[in-house]
Amino acid sequence: MASSTGLSLKFSPLSTSFKQNKVRGICNVNSVSLPSRGMRLGSLRLRVSCAAKPETVDKVCSIVRKQLALPKDSPVTGESKFSALGADSLDTVEIVMGLEEEFGISVEEESAQHILTVQDAADLIEKLVEQKSA
Amino acid sequence: MAAAPTRIDVLQLYRSLMRVARQFCDYNIREYTKRRTIDAFRDNKILTNCSQLSAAFSDGKAQLEVAKRRALVYSLYAPKVKSIMDIKPS
Repeated sequence: MASSTGLSLKFSPLSTSFKQNKVRGICNVNSVSLPSRGMRLGSLRLRVSCAAKPETVDKVCSIVRKQLALPKDSPVTGESKFSALGADSLDTVEIVMGLEEEFGISVEEESAQHILTVQDAADLIEKLVEQKSA
Repeated sequence: MAAAPTRIDVLQLYRSLMRVARQFCDYNIREYTKRRTIDAFRDNKILTNCSQLSAAFSDGKAQLEVAKRRALVYSLYAPKVKSIMDIKPS
């Protein structure tokens, strides 16, 4: 399937860069762990999941906006946390319910408790939709 | 006396009630169940008294059992004609 090959292509450059960092030795690890937050390589290595499609993120954003009654021009991006947008845990459960209905998926209890940002929700949705269609 | 319900228990009860609400065939009952659980959980959000918390939690669990039974029975006698609110505008 085209989507799965796309996934594997995305993972391989990350793993090769990781191995190269290990081989180069301790001095390289020290330079990465310095608090230079502008280093994208350090933040990329911590991400396990690949990015979700932008349409999915947009749909999630619109559902979040509708649930929390946010105005249309308020900033809701992939990185916004639900708690930062003013949602408590009950709102988060309702948002996950709305996403289940919208995408026709079923989210597990444990996975639902780990959803903290819009990007987490979009990634989980993508994974479940793929599992369902596979 | 039962121990106070944890945050996770409360959220799981909330999620189960919302899931049961989805199973109803009748639009009115479905919307009522969703509305009632949202209102009840938000009203009880500010409770801190241990006995009140466990009372509200066991009440919620009893309602969940009732709702499950009702959803099953209603699905056996589902009306053929769907409510107008369920028909999406084409």
